[in-house]
Amino acid sequence: MDPTISSLIGAAEQGDKSAAEGLFAVLYAELHRMAKRELARQGGPVSLSATTLVHEAYLDMAGREGPLFPDRARFMGYAARVMRGLIVDHARERHAQKRGGLFEITSLDIEAMEAAVDHRELAQISEALDDLGKVEPVLAEIVDLKFFCGFSFGEIAAMRNVSERTVQRNWEKARIYLHRKIRADLSL
Amino acid sequence: MSTLSPDQWQQVSSYLDQALAMTAEERAAWLSALGEQNPALAAQLRALLDEHRVLAQEGFLEKGPVALPSAPGLAGQTIGAYTLISQIGQGGMGSVWLAERSDGRFERQVAVKFLNVALVGRGGEERFKREGSILGRLAHEHIAELVDAGVSEAGQPYLVLEYVGGDHIDRYCDQRTLDVEARVRLFLDVLIAVAHAHANLIVHRDLKPSNVLVSKDGQVKLLDFGIAKLLEGEGQAGEATLLTVEGGRAMTPEYAAPEQLKGGPVTTATDVYALGVLLYVLLTGQHPAGGGLHTPADLVKAIVDTEPTRPSDSVAPTRANAEITTTNATRRASTPEKLRRLLRGDLDTIVAKALKKNPQERYASVTGLADDLGRYLRNEPIRARPDTFGYRAAKFVRRNRTAVALATLAFVATAAGVAGTLVQARTARVQRDFALRQLSRAEAINDLNEFVFTESPPPGETLDRAERILGRQQRANLADRVETLVSLGRNTGVEEGYARPRRILEEAYQLSRGLPEPSTRAKAACALGGMLSRGDQLPRAESFIQEGLKELPDESQFALDRVFCLLEGATVSRANGAALESISRLQLAQQLLKQAPLHSEMLDVQAAMYLADSYRLVGRNREACAEFEHAFTRLTALGRDDTGLGGSVSYKWGLSLYLLGRPLEAERLIHRAIVMFSGSEDAPDAIPMHLISHARAVRDLGRLDEAAAQAERGYARAQKIGEQVVVNQALLARASIYRMRGDLARAEDMLAELEPRLRSSLPAGNISFASLMLEQALIRQGRGDLSTAMDQANQALAIAEASAKASGQGADFVPTILVDRSDIERQFGRPDEAAADASRALGLLQAAAQPGKLSSTLGRAYLTLGRALQSQGKHDEARTAFRSATENLQDAVGSDHPDTRSARQLAELDAQSR
Repeated sequence: MDPTISSLIGAAEQGDKSAAEGLFAVLYAELHRMAKRELARQGGPVSLSATTLVHEAYLDMAGREGPLFPDRARFMGYAARVMRGLIVDHARERHAQKRGGLFEITSLDIEAMEAAVDHRELAQISEALDDLGKVEPVLAEIVDLKFFCGFSFGEIAAMRNVSERTVQRNWEKARIYLHRKIRADLSL
Repeated sequence: MSTLSPDQWQQVSSYLDQALAMTAEERAAWLSALGEQNPALAAQLRALLDEHRVLAQEGFLEKGPVALPSAPGLAGQTIGAYTLISQIGQGGMGSVWLAERSDGRFERQVAVKFLNVALVGRGGEERFKREGSILGRLAHEHIAELVDAGVSEAGQPYLVLEYVGGDHIDRYCDQRTLDVEARVRLFLDVLIAVAHAHANLIVHRDLKPSNVLVSKDGQVKLLDFGIAKLLEGEGQAGEATLLTVEGGRAMTPEYAAPEQLKGGPVTTATDVYALGVLLYVLLTGQHPAGGGLHTPADLVKAIVDTEPTRPSDSVAPTRANAEITTTNATRRASTPEKLRRLLRGDLDTIVAKALKKNPQERYASVTGLADDLGRYLRNEPIRARPDTFGYRAAKFVRRNRTAVALATLAFVATAAGVAGTLVQARTARVQRDFALRQLSRAEAINDLNEFVFTESPPPGETLDRAERILGRQQRANLADRVETLVSLGRNTGVEEGYARPRRILEEAYQLSRGLPEPSTRAKAACALGGMLSRGDQLPRAESFIQEGLKELPDESQFALDRVFCLLEGATVSRANGAALESISRLQLAQQLLKQAPLHSEMLDVQAAMYLADSYRLVGRNREACAEFEHAFTRLTALGRDDTGLGGSVSYKWGLSLYLLGRPLEAERLIHRAIVMFSGSEDAPDAIPMHLISHARAVRDLGRLDEAAAQAERGYARAQKIGEQVVVNQALLARASIYRMRGDLARAEDMLAELEPRLRSSLPAGNISFASLMLEQALIRQGRGDLSTAMDQANQALAIAEASAKASGQGADFVPTILVDRSDIERQFGRPDEAAADASRALGLLQAAAQPGKLSSTLGRAYLTLGRALQSQGKHDEARTAFRSATENLQDAVGSDHPDTRSARQLAELDAQSR
């Protein structure tokens, strides 16, 4: 039997490295499957928001695994991290294909979208975020939720049960950290 | 530039928190203070904050991984206290930018909306700011806050709004495949927000999906409250903003209300209309003006002139739109057919009321609309009355001359006919679906009827035509043909008498003789029996009922067919004057329904209604009222209170209330039935008996001229249709009205016409003769011929008592006769008899009355008793009686009624005389 998401999260939180990798792989497959399903259901290019996707993934998996499933905030933290990987991979893939990828991920309410951030830049951000995750995981998670998944400050604040101002301050700090890191890397 | 080590970062992290919470000025002071204690730390912080300024200008991480190509022109510009970050939208009114406070406080991000409107007039700028500040005070969780309003240096007005991330409500619903119920629930949040604004006297004026956002976690936020008004210059009409020309293309006023397009006053009703359009779109995926491309001119015309298609009809698939309807239904987690059934009824009614062309006919408030939607969700009866029935009935009746009264009986036919396919349906939701399925079947048959009769085929061709249609429907087997003919016969109009429906049902009966199915044979026989009882062939009618009942084996699978026959049989019994037999048939029917393996809500209702009617006939009005109320409640729960059946219940309930001495309520219910059936106030197609009953209620309210006119109308209609029983009722009603107006000669003429008619058609001893005799007695009394009046009143009482004893019919008439006889006796100088009669009447009435309910009949009995007591010299008791009379009459017929006034004066007079 495959390990459940609940058990993987539990193990990952105990510091089990292979559990953390397993968790990432499972969530990645799950989100990817859902994106494809959404695409098939709507029968064409869609504006699928990343937020919608992680929400639905949560409902889906929580429904499957029952009452022991971790709370929404904890799950979102992991899912957002995975979502980042998905987006970065997608951007890379799309760049490789030079044409529209599997799905459009939008976090803004506009139909005509264009890739605004270069796939290389995305990869850099992602790397810097991994770095930040080691120093201040809370800040990294906010960036995953906000930048990659399109959650608003209010939503993140509610999720983590802190004030919106705190989330905003943390966001600004994270931006400073990432900006500095990327600039430093570039100047190497 | 070097990257910070984890340790370094941990060290500055908390300082950064402090610094980021400050304004630029505060921060400068704080940093120099810090620099004196720890120069290295201060330097590091300065570097990081500088970096922050740079990254903010770059818009680092602002746009998300994918974003709209931004117009770089305005980025970084300062508008009021805000710095523009990036463009996030381009709408009809102008462009929208994401912005943040320039002073470095990270309170929140905002959306700055530039409006593509030149402010006219010199006061324009101040007015814009003033209005903006009023709107800014509109705080609600579902309304995006207006933070500021102003005019840029370039002269362009702008608004600073709370930034709301989210999707247009229609897209949000579609993307999540929300079903109808979830959509309605979400829409209720919109209504709460609009109601809040209305309570603050702010009308939105431009409600549309792009102004109603739903965030990812399902929170509704309304944008742009009152902004349309803000944009209106003095002397400019609303249309200027609605037809804003954007990029050379006129925007279509899809959500504009008729009054906005016609330059009428914009009120809260305008928002109700736009909400109606929004609800329509959410429910159907289409605009009420229909699909297809509209030029603005077409659209304006449609909004002002054309009645919108009902939501349920708009989702029904046709060959041309099959693809669209399927897509729309799928987005609502449904199929076109299922969606159509879901929308049909209450939601159709609610949307129609919100979309009324005339603002006054819409929901009076957004709360009213919300209330009805809440009721819909809880499966409670909604408050809006479907105009559609009256509207459709008016059209239908005028065009087809079909008696809609009979159309509803098709439910019984269909219910019995499809019994084999029915499933047990007992939960509220399933009941509703069940009823709607029944309805669609019944309506399919109605559609057939409509087609058959619409073009007025030459006599004799009707059946051919019906058969041709049957053949085309590929249901041409004999049994189906009989079933449809039965329904056809029962639906055929009585405008030209009973000959035609009778012929159709005779035909159905003859055809059914060649069939083996007991169910079809029985139904054809009983339907014919029921129809014959409406004419003058009562013995024959009863024999068909007997025959039909014998056809049916005593097995549970025929239970519903047996119920059908018993209901028809009860009609025949009643026409025969055998009210008690009618009651026992109906009680048997109810019992069968309870035991039947299949459940039919409509047959339940029908049985309850017939039973109520029979109770009424035997004078058990209190029980009748309870049954009618029950039937009406059930019908409403089934979404069928707007049908002819609902109209019938309304009428008969009114009649019972009338007989319980509640003419005020009765008048309203009967009037409702008349309007429902004939579709208008002047009632050209009204059912004659309804008009007569209405005339009586109006008469009892003392409005004699109105009553006379209505009775005459009823008489003419009954004559035309050939309803002999109703002609008789009309003559009697007219006689009493003329007598009360003092026109005794004319009243006598009426009775002279009535008497031979009754004698030739009814057995001696029928309750009708009691009515005739009493009316004759009252006329004699009016002429001062008290001794004849006494004789006739005695005879009337004897007939009524005998009839009540034999058949139960006329029991409720006894107290009326006693009261009238008491009055005659008193005038005749027999105060003791007068007092005894009035007391007896009072006793009977109190036993029959609804406990605690005041009534006009009680009031009259008290009044008469008081007069009798007065003649007896018992003034104390008389005064008490007059007081009771006043109390009852005041409540039942109003304080201006002549009887009420008499009672009041007598009570006061008697008090003074002491």
